[in-house]
Amino acid sequence: MFIIQTVILGLCLGFVYALMATGLTLIFGVMRIVNLAHPIFILVGAFAAYYLFVFFGIDPIYAIPLCAAVTALLGAITYKLVFEKDAGSQTYSEMTVLLTFGTAMVLDGTLSYFFKNTQRITSPPYATDAIFLGDLFLPTAQLYSGLISIGLIVALGIFLKFTNLGIAIRATSLSRVNAELVGINVKFVCLFSFILGCALAGCAGSLVSFVFSFFPAKHWEWIAILMSLVVLGGMGSILGVVISAAILSVIASLVGAFIAPAWSTMVFFVALFLILLVKPHGMFGKYLE
Amino acid sequence: MDTKKIIPIIILLILIVFPAIQLFSNQNYVIHLMLYAFFYMVMTSSWNIIGGYGGFISVGHNAFLCIGAYIAGYYSIMLGISTFYLIIFSGIGAAIFGFLVGLITLRIRGPSFIISSIALIMILRIIFDRWELVGGAAGITLPYNSLEAKYMKIPHYYGFLFLAICAIYLNWYVRHSKFGLALRAISHDETRSAVAGINVRYIKVTAFVLSTFLIGCAGAIWADYLTYVRPNIFLIILIAANMVLMVILGGMGTVTGPIVGTIIFIAFNELILSYLGATELNLLFTGLLLVITLLYFPDGIVGTLKNKGKLPKFLDWG
Repeated sequence: MFIIQTVILGLCLGFVYALMATGLTLIFGVMRIVNLAHPIFILVGAFAAYYLFVFFGIDPIYAIPLCAAVTALLGAITYKLVFEKDAGSQTYSEMTVLLTFGTAMVLDGTLSYFFKNTQRITSPPYATDAIFLGDLFLPTAQLYSGLISIGLIVALGIFLKFTNLGIAIRATSLSRVNAELVGINVKFVCLFSFILGCALAGCAGSLVSFVFSFFPAKHWEWIAILMSLVVLGGMGSILGVVISAAILSVIASLVGAFIAPAWSTMVFFVALFLILLVKPHGMFGKYLE
Repeated sequence: MDTKKIIPIIILLILIVFPAIQLFSNQNYVIHLMLYAFFYMVMTSSWNIIGGYGGFISVGHNAFLCIGAYIAGYYSIMLGISTFYLIIFSGIGAAIFGFLVGLITLRIRGPSFIISSIALIMILRIIFDRWELVGGAAGITLPYNSLEAKYMKIPHYYGFLFLAICAIYLNWYVRHSKFGLALRAISHDETRSAVAGINVRYIKVTAFVLSTFLIGCAGAIWADYLTYVRPNIFLIILIAANMVLMVILGGMGTVTGPIVGTIIFIAFNELILSYLGATELNLLFTGLLLVITLLYFPDGIVGTLKNKGKLPKFLDWG
């Protein structure tokens, strides 16, 4: 029973992690940028949700569109200022990783300066509540955030599968040159998917704000966790990210329950190293670079 | 002797006799800044071997600093001897660890390599925070050396100066050797280098080990200088970020780039500290400087000047 309990809690967290990593994998798929600034966008969303809750009493779940708008705007500004450069240069990929690294430092510094590195958590009424199913115990915060994450990921999947813009995004992520040949406005698709990715970060931030306690410097830990999911999922595949998030996070919560809670995040980092050692191109084998 | 050789030699002689200033006045802060600059020069020049010539941008190189510091700290307490005797062992320990890490992470390049290097710091941070043998999160506390306060920093000054000279010499040697040529070939195209008969894996791992050895040595002196070794001092991303930024600022893949970058960056940092105080704004400006450098002059100061043919002769070491 205890194991089932742990697995369910792990799965709920796993779906939240999956939503956090979806934007990252989307941006990587389309633009070939590893966006190290992604977790700090999630934190910006979380701070937006926190202050909307504290000052206006808006429930973090209803605040999702607002947080998404905030991070989308920030993402658009960042894209215009930093990433709108010719993608043709040879070291583009590595240079942009360092650029996103710099962006993350700038945003981290700004957030730490204004909000200080203290632990915060949004506390809507359901955050401390739980549902009991027989012997099973389901904290509502984790349950709601897991379900909403899955809902958003499915919505994103439908958007990518059936709309024209979604098809254009998928085409660009398959081959930039060929997408341009068939008349897709690749520059617009890049801008749009970057903003979409940042908006997803905002959604995730809003959910994260009542699941984890957060502080500005937390994103360095998240980046490694999220990257382990993206690498395991095969760099650019959304389904891969969801599956790997579910698997790793269940393992992490089992480790947390049976060994020690402190070691649970270690699972993600060790997994990242093992994947790079055994299968550098990820579980679902999409070709990298 | 032309100016190309005379100016560096004069600078070196000045640096060697500089601590004599302590006999006449108390300039501890200037000494601190200089040894801090030497400390970062060791790291940037070493990093340049794998990051600049090899093209493997590691933002987790302070992991080796930490390993070196822990080896020196732990054994100096256990054996009751000064960390200065343990410098070489710290270097060897860091190099062995670098060899193991290099075997795993150098299989990949580009963005994935950068991420694996961040993951390395995270893993070490978790391990050292919970490893009771080396003090857990509280770390190891080392005794002060027995010198008068005025002369306390002198041993560290000479230690770092010596290591910095070694690192710069190593950097220069790699730049002008056949090994460095192979390394630069690998940074452009691994497959073609392998076809040309270069033992790619051997060269990559050797370069990685070379770049970790002196960083480990520097870790030992830095531990003695700070008098404590703690995960939250050594394993923060800011040290690695500074290291990468200094090299990029000066010019990746040049011999004098890391030196110039280090001096300019430390001066810039002092300026911010004196005007704005030690706040989180420091991180903001470091990031801003990184972004601006990458966007507007990705070749760095030395690289840009060299392309324009305006580089002063004494800085042109290849």
